[in-house]
Amino acid sequence: MRRVRAWAAVAAAVALLLTGCSSGKTVDDGKVTLEFQSLAWQKESVDANKQLVKEWNAAHPDIQVKYVQGSWDSVHDQLLTSFEGGEAPDVIHDASDDLADFAYGGYLADLRDLLPARLKSGIPQRSWETTTFGDGVYGVPFLQEPRVLVANAKILRAAGVRIPTPAKPWSWEEFRSVTKKLSGGGRFGVAWPLKEPVSATLNLSLSAGGRMFHRGADGKVTVRFDAADAVVPRTVHDQAGPDGSASGATLGMSGSDTLPGFFAGKYAMVPLGFSYRQQIVQQAPKGFEWQVLPAPAGRDGLAQGVSPQTLSVAQDSPHKKEAAQFIDFLLRPRNMVRLALGDWMLPTGTQALKDPALRTTKNDWATGTALAGGLRSAPAQSVRGYPEWKDKVATPALQEYYSGSIGLGELRKRLVRDGNLVLARYQR
Amino acid sequence: MTLATATKRPVKRVSEPPGRGRLVDHGAWFLVLPALIPILVLSVGPLLYGIALSFTDAQAGRTAPTRWVGALNFQDLLHDTLFWESFRIGLLWAVGVTVPQFLLALGLALLLNQNLRFRWLARALAIIPWAMPEVVVGIMWRLVYHPDAGILNETLRDLGLGDGRDWLTGLATALPAVIVVGVWAGMPQTTVALLAGLQNTPPELHEAAALDGAGAWGRFRAVTWPALKPVALAITALNFIWNFNAFALVYVLTNGGPGGRTRLPMLFAYEEAFRYGQFGYAAAMGCGMVAVISVILAFHLVGRLKGGDEQ
Amino acid sequence: MSRTRTHTRTHTRTRGRTRTGIRPSRPARAGQSLALLAYLVFLAFPFLWLISTAFKPPRELASLHPTWIPKDPTLANFRQAFDEQPLLRAAVNSVLVALSAALVAVLVATPMAYVMARHRSLLSRAATGWVVISQAFPFVLLIIPLFLILKNLHLINSLPGLTLVYVVWSLPFALWMLVGYVRAVPRELEEAAAVDGAGKLRTLVSVTAPLLAPGLVATALFAFITAWNEFFFALVLMKTPERQTLPVVLTHFLGAEGVADLGPLAAAAFLATLPSLVIFALIQRRLTGGILAGAVKS
Repeated sequence: MRRVRAWAAVAAAVALLLTGCSSGKTVDDGKVTLEFQSLAWQKESVDANKQLVKEWNAAHPDIQVKYVQGSWDSVHDQLLTSFEGGEAPDVIHDASDDLADFAYGGYLADLRDLLPARLKSGIPQRSWETTTFGDGVYGVPFLQEPRVLVANAKILRAAGVRIPTPAKPWSWEEFRSVTKKLSGGGRFGVAWPLKEPVSATLNLSLSAGGRMFHRGADGKVTVRFDAADAVVPRTVHDQAGPDGSASGATLGMSGSDTLPGFFAGKYAMVPLGFSYRQQIVQQAPKGFEWQVLPAPAGRDGLAQGVSPQTLSVAQDSPHKKEAAQFIDFLLRPRNMVRLALGDWMLPTGTQALKDPALRTTKNDWATGTALAGGLRSAPAQSVRGYPEWKDKVATPALQEYYSGSIGLGELRKRLVRDGNLVLARYQR
Repeated sequence: MTLATATKRPVKRVSEPPGRGRLVDHGAWFLVLPALIPILVLSVGPLLYGIALSFTDAQAGRTAPTRWVGALNFQDLLHDTLFWESFRIGLLWAVGVTVPQFLLALGLALLLNQNLRFRWLARALAIIPWAMPEVVVGIMWRLVYHPDAGILNETLRDLGLGDGRDWLTGLATALPAVIVVGVWAGMPQTTVALLAGLQNTPPELHEAAALDGAGAWGRFRAVTWPALKPVALAITALNFIWNFNAFALVYVLTNGGPGGRTRLPMLFAYEEAFRYGQFGYAAAMGCGMVAVISVILAFHLVGRLKGGDEQ
Repeated sequence: MSRTRTHTRTHTRTRGRTRTGIRPSRPARAGQSLALLAYLVFLAFPFLWLISTAFKPPRELASLHPTWIPKDPTLANFRQAFDEQPLLRAAVNSVLVALSAALVAVLVATPMAYVMARHRSLLSRAATGWVVISQAFPFVLLIIPLFLILKNLHLINSLPGLTLVYVVWSLPFALWMLVGYVRAVPRELEEAAAVDGAGKLRTLVSVTAPLLAPGLVATALFAFITAWNEFFFALVLMKTPERQTLPVVLTHFLGAEGVADLGPLAAAAFLATLPSLVIFALIQRRLTGGILAGAVKS
């Protein structure tokens, strides 16, 4: 008797645990529930997203959307294991340079037949290219930001340098000499936050005509490192090395890590994403004057690689059509503007970009908007194996080159030789 | 994870009842099964499965079916200089953490074994690193190392020792900086284990040695160390293994950067599996790590047996 | 000397002063005290800095000359930490998983430990071998197949799934501890019960278990902390933010490139440590004394 009771207790406890804390998927009762995983992280942007979801839910009682909070730092690993484990959300927020492996792996739905014509024509072709892999389109690019120079206005004024504008930007040479002029007395002309050196280098290199990834006639991609590819890396290297016009300490930092030094006048300029203005407004000490300058231009003008934020639909989702409808709603011009303002970024939609709120001189919105025309698909992002090349080969190689521990020859050797080995594993 | 594994060995063998030959005593099965089933399904099974996976090209994605590829993964692995670089870093890290950890812990244990002022406080504080989730330890040290808002650079500036550095992102400083954190985090377990060992040495021997005129060092060598040696060997072996398999600390502190200088093999294999989706290849890396650990463990056991003979 | 208030008192009295009967010279003692002080500083300062950071407002965090004591202490970081991430939800998840794992681990480990302690059989030896070997597994070799197995059982991204993993993960240690505790229970008591006609399970439940109670509690607390602190399995297995445990959610505060928000990060990290600290304070005595019964004959 007692034995039975003891067993019953054990069984009950285990059963309780297994059922008690499992929540499981929502039950279907004619209503559709979509999970929308957003990576918004700044308060304004999270609020904008949540508000839009609320409006949608109010208008569509049969298609309810559940807001799920994701995080940029781990999104790739998280999505990979979610897809693999069959737990992916229906609507997925990500960036275009992160999509290649998912698109080729068959996890994302091809959107060509799902999206309405309005949305398709409202976004320029050069933006759609960022999410086209093979024949399919696997995401809707909706927000993007140019890399800009955020400058300490007082220091620039005092030094009497020419202030560049989108119409008349600095050349890379001019940029280098200006930073030299701004340096000295414990101050650096520029602080490159290059914790993620690869995308910054590749994207800026586009202005000088650098491509690095070349697709052969057989469709296979190889890495080359030509003179045009070397312009930007060499500028950074020389600034941090022989010129002493760039702080060596910030090379491994993230953008926001450089802000305290920037506010303290240690650096005259910091190359940052356009959206960093939000952090600057929030954190700058009173009376601090800052302004946004266009990044230097090269042979190809103000061209810049960019990996827009994207919205995709999971191939596994049972409600792809509804998911596409929701994306269409989120990206109506008016809503796109709200998302852009929340993230302090630029919308891809041509209609949204015309909004007066994005054209004011307040917080230098207008400068960024003027740069939107030069933004195009980052060269590497459609290449399979690019993430591994970036993390394992290019990041260490560039970091060592910038910090001066290897030379240009060694950099080229590593990027090309080691790089092509990695790419080959993906293109067998 | 645990220290008791290290220091606690089965108490004296009481005379065992018969039942040697059988797998398990009749009637004891139902006592064993509740633990045995989860162990088989979630520990032994996965281990065998993992070894099998290393001979396949298993990948994330649904476009390619999994095939047996024989030893191809291991061939690739042999030529993967990046992995072996990571392996070298892993060994450096494991030794770099285990040795100072042991020495510092030994010092602390010896001090705690004395009747010193503030000993109670030290005992309480020594537990803190142990009680903390590894993730929190990582976050905390990131705050300490932070180039501008961190206390380390500020202290250096106050002491006039230069302008400080970016510890976790500098190519030269990242690994040493992370090693310090590893030492800090693992010291308590080691200290407690060694302290237990110390309290186990017979005090009469100390007195006898003191009467013989032995100095502090002489007493340590003649009395303390022999008694401590088994515990010390066990805890260093386990520390080495745990450190070699460390993950959370570097994941939080540097995520393998800068330039892969702190990419420990665990992190490397994790990324291969769950970032790039190369399951088979990552499993092969795991097998390689097990092999190396087994060899080291074997050497260690041999050394331990020999040490036992000498006594 | 305020030593009298601490629970290590008994140790101190018997071990420290009188143990060796050898009193070091004055300078030597001063040196030792100094060394101990250095250890204290090394062990404590990161934690103090964490606390200090948790109470600083953003502008102070962005200043180039941080101070030990916040000039303008604020609780805003804590509020923001709760706003930004589903911290409360994560804490509930952590408690749920750690508590279930601890209970189940003790529940399934006790009978097995009993068998291992009392009957010498092939299985006992195999289990002992597994306990030792499992310490040397690189988790990565385990996690890939575990992921695939749990996927087939539909236990990915589920708290019960994670609980199961933690149960198995804490078993080696639980078994090792419990075997020691069982051995310490006099066999004669059980034999007497057997003479009275009690079955094995009944003997275990009514005779052995009560004597084991302190050991069971210590084992459960330890299993709880192990699960509470665990990161790697949770990182790989838990995908939806609302089902993630505290350590995983904490890493979200680190953010993507340049997003680290130091204040809330420190606040959340501080809060996540409190439960383990409290439990450790509770079982500290057992850590230094009881648990080590095998090595320290105290």
